[in-house]
Amino acid sequence: MKRSWPGGPVSLLLPFFACFLLFWAIPLLDGVRISLHSNEIAGPTHFVGLDNYRAVLSDPRHGTALKNTTLYTLASLGLILPLSLCLAFILKTAFKRLRPILSFLLLLPAITPPVVLGTLFLLVFHGREGLLNQFFVLPFGFKAINWLKDPDWILCGLVLQSVWRWTGFVTFFLLCGLEGLPKTYEESSSLEGARPWQTYWRIQVPLLGPMILFVMAYLLVDSFAMFSGAYTILGNSGGTNDAGLMMVTYTYQTAFAPFNAFGRATAISLSLLPWMFLLLGFGYLTFKSVGRPGREPVL
Amino acid sequence: MKAALTRWGLRFILLIITLVFVYPFAWMFFSGFKTNLEIYRPLQLLPESFGGEYYRGLFSGEWLHYGTVYGNSFLIAMGQALGAVLLTSMCGYVFAKCPLRGKPAWFMLTLLVILIPKQVIALPLLTWIQRIHLYDSLLGVVLPGIVSGVGVLFFTLAFRQVPDALLEQARVEGASEFRIYWTVLPLMNAALLTFGLIHFILSWHEHLIPLLILHEHVTLPLAMSSLQSSGLRFPQAIIMCASTLTILPTALIFALLYRRTRSALAELMST
Repeated sequence: MKRSWPGGPVSLLLPFFACFLLFWAIPLLDGVRISLHSNEIAGPTHFVGLDNYRAVLSDPRHGTALKNTTLYTLASLGLILPLSLCLAFILKTAFKRLRPILSFLLLLPAITPPVVLGTLFLLVFHGREGLLNQFFVLPFGFKAINWLKDPDWILCGLVLQSVWRWTGFVTFFLLCGLEGLPKTYEESSSLEGARPWQTYWRIQVPLLGPMILFVMAYLLVDSFAMFSGAYTILGNSGGTNDAGLMMVTYTYQTAFAPFNAFGRATAISLSLLPWMFLLLGFGYLTFKSVGRPGREPVL
Repeated sequence: MKAALTRWGLRFILLIITLVFVYPFAWMFFSGFKTNLEIYRPLQLLPESFGGEYYRGLFSGEWLHYGTVYGNSFLIAMGQALGAVLLTSMCGYVFAKCPLRGKPAWFMLTLLVILIPKQVIALPLLTWIQRIHLYDSLLGVVLPGIVSGVGVLFFTLAFRQVPDALLEQARVEGASEFRIYWTVLPLMNAALLTFGLIHFILSWHEHLIPLLILHEHVTLPLAMSSLQSSGLRFPQAIIMCASTLTILPTALIFALLYRRTRSALAELMST
């Protein structure tokens, strides 16, 4: 190490960045190399340039997987965020003593391994007998939906599991954030005669901006990389007509039997990156226009 | 009057939603005592009789070595949580409190880690792990799990709350940065516990990376998904028992640390 470097701080960074180099940067760069090479399982591979990427882009299943994953991500985010903002508001205004217990109960699905969801799905999405059909579909005079087989509904089922799983968690984060905000805004705006909902929506939610952004980025990356939920429910397949084919499942299928195309699979993973940055940017812009985090509280 | 009415209305809605969220867990717990026939009737909540035979069956080793698998999962989750807390809190301290040339560049690197999740680099990670002879070892899952960009971000925010005066005094006395970090650490215990807890839960759930890297030493998600695909004649109650016990540690730890977690998160927002 050079002497001119301030030795202290850097030595604190070193352990993390050593792990970063070994288990993140090297695999990523190695991935770029692998994706530019041919797909032989045994024996040496050779450089093929961008052939793998071209093969991926011309595969119609790539489009399907990308469409499904994007829809899944946007739908889950679009449902989870408003729902948990409302739940946090109700918990904050209508409950005092029960608040911690209720928010803990709402949180339970998030600390449940996605694999366990597979078992619970038997209960909820089960053909005709499932709870969803019994309580929310049949009573309204609709025909029972076969949630896990009907290609029109598979993705919907996956989104519902994501909503069920994450809403309580996001609510918990928002609630903690709200408790950390200074009380003065609330008091002064209620003196001015603002209703609680107005105070919440106009003042406190914008103040929560950084936390909402954090939660959103987290959810976005998590749903884009969604694997376990789809894997336990649909197995190593995309479901009927690939209607539930997710990006990670598609990559997994390509990398192992029956295709065994490791280079191509890596190309799939890496081709996701620009798309993910785009989604994140899009999310950030929507958030900026809707949530207005930078705006000073009025009133 | 109207306000009271709306309040009760809101309460009612929230209780219904809570019921929707919690009911499946009750069903799962009771299903650990049910025969297959009863389980395939999802509308039925309570079993006809409570006997512990499926729990005994779970630990008999007939279907899976539940104890060993549980131990593997626990070691991996614990290793990831402890490792990530230690390494990322050191980074967080430096980013929040130390003068350092090129700090934005280091920080950008950690943000990249958040943007490119492990699932994206899973395949090259597998070949790399094979090359450095960590394939099918618990360490091969723990070490990649330590690289948490979220952790660095979290601790950078948390360390900002430590007053500078405290650090300046220690610097004047000539303490090394590591020394200062170590002395400040106890002030941060709520934040440390919170992040450790979240990271523990995440690695307890992790599916893809262990699926690729582990072969013999499976973890709970792997064992359970192979149980689920093992056919319908097999007593489903075993899976229900396994699921119930899988949730238990995370729910328990969370319940114990609940108050601290809440105050740590509230503090993060108050800056």
